[in-house]
Amino acid sequence: MSPTPEEHPNKAAFLLRVRSALGRSEPIVHMPDHPSLKSNAARQQEKVRTVVARNQARRSRTLDRLARTAAAASWNVRRASDAEEAASIVAEIAHDAGVKSLVRSAEDIFKRVDIDGSLRSVGVSPAILASGRSRGRGMLRDMAFRADMGVTGVSYAIAETASCAVIPRRGVARLASLAPPRLVLLIEPEQVLESLDDFFAITRLNRMQARGRTANYFNFISGPSRTADIEQTLTIGVHGPGEVHMVILG
Amino acid sequence: MAEVKSAEFKKASGRALRDEKLQHALDHVMEHFVGARANIIESDFGDESWEAMRTRAAAIKQSTLEHLDYYLDMVDRSVRRNGGHVYFADDAAQANAIVLDIAKRNGVKTVIKSKSMVSEEMGINHILEREGIEPVETDLGEYIIQLAGETPFHIIAPAMHKTRQEVSALFQQWLKTAPTQDIKRLCVYARDALREKFAQADMGISGANFVVAETGTVCLVTNEGNGRMTTSAPRIHVVLAGMEKVVPAIEDLALFLRLLPRSATGQRITSYNTFVGGPRAPSDEDGPEEFHLVFVDNGRLNLLRDEVMREALRCIRCGACLNHCPVYQKIGGHAYGWVYSGPIGAIVTPSMTNMKVARDLPYASTLCGTCKDVCPVKIDIPRLLLHLRHKVAEGDASERSTTWMERLFVGQWHSAMRNRRALEGKANLGRLLTRPFTRGGNVRKLPFAPMVSGWTASRDFPAPAPRSFARLWREELADGNTPANGTER
Ligand code: SF4
Repeated sequence: MSPTPEEHPNKAAFLLRVRSALGRSEPIVHMPDHPSLKSNAARQQEKVRTVVARNQARRSRTLDRLARTAAAASWNVRRASDAEEAASIVAEIAHDAGVKSLVRSAEDIFKRVDIDGSLRSVGVSPAILASGRSRGRGMLRDMAFRADMGVTGVSYAIAETASCAVIPRRGVARLASLAPPRLVLLIEPEQVLESLDDFFAITRLNRMQARGRTANYFNFISGPSRTADIEQTLTIGVHGPGEVHMVILG
Repeated sequence: MAEVKSAEFKKASGRALRDEKLQHALDHVMEHFVGARANIIESDFGDESWEAMRTRAAAIKQSTLEHLDYYLDMVDRSVRRNGGHVYFADDAAQANAIVLDIAKRNGVKTVIKSKSMVSEEMGINHILEREGIEPVETDLGEYIIQLAGETPFHIIAPAMHKTRQEVSALFQQWLKTAPTQDIKRLCVYARDALREKFAQADMGISGANFVVAETGTVCLVTNEGNGRMTTSAPRIHVVLAGMEKVVPAIEDLALFLRLLPRSATGQRITSYNTFVGGPRAPSDEDGPEEFHLVFVDNGRLNLLRDEVMREALRCIRCGACLNHCPVYQKIGGHAYGWVYSGPIGAIVTPSMTNMKVARDLPYASTLCGTCKDVCPVKIDIPRLLLHLRHKVAEGDASERSTTWMERLFVGQWHSAMRNRRALEGKANLGRLLTRPFTRGGNVRKLPFAPMVSGWTASRDFPAPAPRSFARLWREELADGNTPANGTER
């Protein structure tokens, strides 16, 4: 990793002005009292343990809630009883929409859910949107922009807001879930959380344990791309996918 | 910095009031926002827990402001640890220079922008254009505004005053598209035009809704996906953030992400939330290789310094105070003359720009208090407006904007009210002077008195009674008589 960027030359003077505007002459040395900052890694771990246990205990109820909030937020929700059914649902969606070119991420979930096989049986051959296969920024971008449909997994799905947390990394391009006009996200039951609080508690712990070596970038996808900028008329599908599908395994 | 036209406030509001089309759009949109917000809060939380959330959010933001130097330092360290660059700009000129420098160093030709109010403050589009760099707004509303050469009409609905016909005409002119009345089609035209730009651009500029100190995470709240494009497609990402955007902890976002979209558009959450704290990792498939976060003061220090005004910096720019304001609902956003409009515009513009130029803004309110009731961070807007009115009238010479005539008038008033004999003398003089302008018991116009003629131009002033109470008392009432002609007119 490249060295830490340097401090901006104006930083010290800027902070000094802020401090004197606040009527203080000395910098603050002790962390101000803020509950969610104070909890250290051990306590955060304890907190996350209860979060995980609670989510486990209430899993089936939370899955139902996710399906409800998602439908209300214009997701097309499909529930599959097993991996095989999930794979055929993906193929069905692609077939019904007349999809010709499809990109997917390279994630472990596709080892369990064989969409490559199910898609080929309806005449669609998925391309994997990942380096090794598409050399360079330009090629990957072109491929993503040309595709009619993208399929990826998620890291978490939050029932409270029907938000899918997608964390780009090796094998998971940012554009896979953004550029194609149609998006299918595959969700496994263990990934479902009740609330935003649960998600951020886990995110904080992950960061603490990885000592900063976690992703610098992630997204919530909580519905179709939309705008109401012209005459306050809701229009679906501007820069992102206008048609979004959630396939829940369970 | 973007030009401040707030001195035109009265004229511009008059124009807006006479614009029928605009009045129609305002009625329609404001009603929609107000209703959607009320419904979602009612269905998801109810008044009591919503109130508790507002209280907690206000406390977090206020405490962050009280320790702002500490938290800015924390953000700086976190972002640099993530591999990003952090800058501190005192004003618009410095911020523009920083962005321009990054662009030039990288030979940038096209910049795509996702919505940023700070960049509006900076007027950066002009600066880039002057250097031969093409800035392209990618939020549909902002894009329309950019093509029209205007400023945003509303914080979250920048082009709400434009009809589909006007948008179609703009697209015909600039994109050479066919005329259409179909809004969906218009969106497709914009999408296609912007897709090309996304593929070309070397640099993306975004704003920031929140900046988390402990992790150095910038959170963007969008619906269209342009925020994701801006932070995914180009090689360089620059974030422009007002220095008040900081929240201490990543877990605080749960609260703020509940408050913001509900207050703004009445949504449970927006379609996208993007969280970015640095450049891509080498192993990532795509994403910017450089990440730059520019903190901008540009007049915010004036708000921070004033202990009463400080809370204005808690603002999360949801727009709820605009949507609920009886004044904004009638005059819309352009009359306020700068980047921020409505109640929040009326309180931040005078302090951030120039008290004298923006002196009318603190008076653009009925002080009904609705803004305070809907504000997700509980800013006591009416109190701040009164504080500003006080400053306009009595502040030090740099802030005071009253004319010498007004001061003379108020001075005379003051001395007269303290002394009975002087009061009677002045009252008699007033009776004489106003008599020629009195119709039906009201003073209609006082053309000779410039300090009050503005006031009487739109108001009638009850004329002084022909005989003062003191005279009546002396001549008739003191010895127990009833007045001969009562309150004669
Ligand atoms: S002042 Fe309050 S209501 Fe107005 S935009 Fe800011 S946060 Fe929203």
